[in-house]
Amino acid sequence: MTPAGVVTLLLEAENLEVVYHHVATAIQGVSLAVPPRAIVALLGTNGAGKTTTLRAISGFLGADDAQVVSGRVTFLGDTVTGRPPHELARRGLVLVPERDKVFETLTVQENLRALVRGRHAARAAARPLVTLEQVFHYFPVLAERGRQLAGYLSGGERQMLALATALLCRPVVLLVDELSLGLAPLVVESLMTLVARLRDELGLAVLLVEQNAGAALAVANYGYVMEHGRIVYDGSAEQLLAHEDVREFYLGVGRREGRKRYTEVKQYQRRRRWF
Amino acid sequence: MSLAGGYFKTTYDGDLALVDTRLRRVTLAALVIALLVLPRFASPFALDLVAQVALAAVGALALNMLTGFAGQVSLGHAGFIAAGAFTTAVLVEHRLPSPLLALPAAALVGAGLGVVVGIPALRLKGLYLALGTLALHHVVLYACGEFQNYWGANTGVSIPPPRLGAWVLKGTTAWYYALTSVAALVLALSVNLQRSRAGRAWMAIRDREIAAESVGIDVALYKVLAFVWSSAITAIAGALFAYQRAFVSVEAFGFFVAIEYIAMIIIGGLGSSLGAVLGAAFVTLLPHGIDAAFARLSVQGGAEYYLFPLKFGAFGLLMAVFLVFEPQGLVGIWRRIRNWFFLWPLRYRPLRPAS
Amino acid sequence: MTQALATTVVVASLYALLAAGYVLVYRATRVLNLAQGDMMTLGGYFLFLVATAVPGAPALSVVAAVGLSALSGFVIYRLLMRPMAGHPIFAAVLVTVTLGILLRAAIVLVYTDRIRHPLPLLGLANPPRRLPGGAVVSTFDLFTVGVAALLFVALFAFLRLSPLGIQMRAAGEKALLAAQRGINFQLLFALSWALAGFAGALAGTLYASNVRLDPSLGVLGLKAFAVALVGGLDSLGGVIPGALIVAAVEVLSVRYGDPLLADVSPFLCLLAMLLVRPWGLFGTKEELERV
Repeated sequence: MTPAGVVTLLLEAENLEVVYHHVATAIQGVSLAVPPRAIVALLGTNGAGKTTTLRAISGFLGADDAQVVSGRVTFLGDTVTGRPPHELARRGLVLVPERDKVFETLTVQENLRALVRGRHAARAAARPLVTLEQVFHYFPVLAERGRQLAGYLSGGERQMLALATALLCRPVVLLVDELSLGLAPLVVESLMTLVARLRDELGLAVLLVEQNAGAALAVANYGYVMEHGRIVYDGSAEQLLAHEDVREFYLGVGRREGRKRYTEVKQYQRRRRWF
Repeated sequence: MSLAGGYFKTTYDGDLALVDTRLRRVTLAALVIALLVLPRFASPFALDLVAQVALAAVGALALNMLTGFAGQVSLGHAGFIAAGAFTTAVLVEHRLPSPLLALPAAALVGAGLGVVVGIPALRLKGLYLALGTLALHHVVLYACGEFQNYWGANTGVSIPPPRLGAWVLKGTTAWYYALTSVAALVLALSVNLQRSRAGRAWMAIRDREIAAESVGIDVALYKVLAFVWSSAITAIAGALFAYQRAFVSVEAFGFFVAIEYIAMIIIGGLGSSLGAVLGAAFVTLLPHGIDAAFARLSVQGGAEYYLFPLKFGAFGLLMAVFLVFEPQGLVGIWRRIRNWFFLWPLRYRPLRPAS
Repeated sequence: MTQALATTVVVASLYALLAAGYVLVYRATRVLNLAQGDMMTLGGYFLFLVATAVPGAPALSVVAAVGLSALSGFVIYRLLMRPMAGHPIFAAVLVTVTLGILLRAAIVLVYTDRIRHPLPLLGLANPPRRLPGGAVVSTFDLFTVGVAALLFVALFAFLRLSPLGIQMRAAGEKALLAAQRGINFQLLFALSWALAGFAGALAGTLYASNVRLDPSLGVLGLKAFAVALVGGLDSLGGVIPGALIVAAVEVLSVRYGDPLLADVSPFLCLLAMLLVRPWGLFGTKEELERV
């Protein structure tokens, strides 16, 4: 199922299967799509395979010992499965990773220059012309901290720097991995609002991988839910917010009545007899 | 006859046994018999080759204990060999040439040197440890060179053949038996160490030092122990080397020797006793193989000059090839062949270890 | 006293040229290129090669030698080091050792181990010069110091200011992130190897012209890696104090001690540094835990 009513999809993944070290299957049968001018959320708990999905789309390094053993990734009409990361980044498919997102031994200014600005106009979609002034407009704190080593920035500032450098690559589709990780709720909210602004003002398409389902669904248009390496549900943001299981397991707003207390669950009772 | 891989044991004794399956017992017996009767059929040249392989194997097994089992990378192996050889030289200069004194003395000197190297090595890991041992190798060689100059023997010290009471160890056959016995002993020691508490501690330290520490292994003690064991055995090899060559000179122990031993354990297969022996054989026999190939191609005179850099280069090339394409070395190849035979006619792609 | 000072600076310059190669390769790929000394020898022999083919053209010979060495560095990375990408670092370092062996074997095969002197072939002379203060150095000693200084200024400018230099530093820190920002880091790694070849060739051509050329020059490389370690393996700036310290110890030990000690003294400095401050004077401390 794809986001309804869309003609050209910017990014499409079909039946992706990734195996690590030739033995461990991380994701299987994963299909998703990102239309223009939209934020698509990919939700799931730890270990669900979200980061692997993103890496499968944006390319593994040769030394990772991970293979996409089946499935296909299509970006702007071209099949790009298994292409190296730097090639995809230059084409406009840019990833903001979960960890290791800034160059810590370089200053903020140098970080903003340690990238390749995509030059050629992308097929089927306009590449937003992001300049340094625009970046400072969206992230004023980076202008203040220009000469500071990126290693000394706070978590929120790092995330902003990571986003800024990704934007300077002139992405057509932005892949963001765990934007909210380790950040205070207010900061998370402001960053999510910012991402929504980027979608609206620059026409960016974003694939947002998030554990914090509430924050993600607040700005997303469409969403997928992953568990144990598979997509188990997808729908528009409104559908997800209304779905019973999503509400209980990912949003923490379940039905109170009829919900068991953990002490009443049989496994717990069995263990208790030892004490 | 059971062709099983010996993986399934039903008794504790069976689990502890060094040679478990009947096939292995038969193979080992055959090998021992072959080695015993070899002098009857082989030329002195071939016997000398086997003796050289045996001596190299002793050094390789010792290095394997340090680098293969315990994961402590050492580029200073040649220094330990030199220490053992020069201990013998010192004793000879002091008119005490008996091997009964020289071998234990060499072992003690080696062990002492192992402590001297091992304790500072606790602070270093990986690449820095390798560099530190390399630097130490140069310091040891400098000390040996000074000794050589001091005793006035500018080219080296002559060592008389070892005598035990009335019996003198001389001649190719005698040295062949002596060295292969020593090699067999060290191999048995190495295999046993691998399965002992110390060996397991070493392998734990090699794989994940922090985890080893947190399960109660005294990492510092075992690391120093690895250096001590390894350098003691290496020094003994050095003493034997001195006796066999009857001559000790500091030029014989340059950095290239250390590289040769590293090549032996890498080409053979890191972390495996069998690998150390295979690697020792390979590296020792390679130059002779090239000689033979050259002679076979009967190149005209004057071209022998090219032999040395060719051997040198071939050695480097093979080491590079093994490092790039076959990190598990000859043992890896052997295991693949063996698995193919065991599993035939089934085809099974074995699990590749996560590196 | 001034003579000792002058000799120290000259020796330090040579070491600095070699150590720059170590640091460049280490910063980019985390590999210690133990063949740097042999790459220096290669540069010297390239000079000899071109000088015998086209005598009396020093500019051409030097440019060709240095260019060929840089190209060799590039090719070496592409063929030998890039396949070692997923392997443990120690294996990659051993591969550089085998590279050194191969280079040396190739040089001996072609040129034997006769000592060569390319300087007459270039049509140049190396007269001694008297410095203010009474010290005497050769012309090429002065060239060595000058070239080393120029190289370091150029490298600093390149790495700090130019976009490519910043990309190279970024790729050296986090290759994956660099790739995710569109940087072709494999190309930049190859470039760092080419630069190492370039710096090594500068050292090699200068030494060959100044002293002599024979296949065993690689040992200077081993001494120079002590310099790199003392300064800090990933610090280009640390090379300068490191080189001065090691050169000073060496020159002083020749003067006041045993000449044989001079060969060992860089390693003694190395050992001292490893025991006291393993990451060197200006290196990053985290480097220690990476391996």
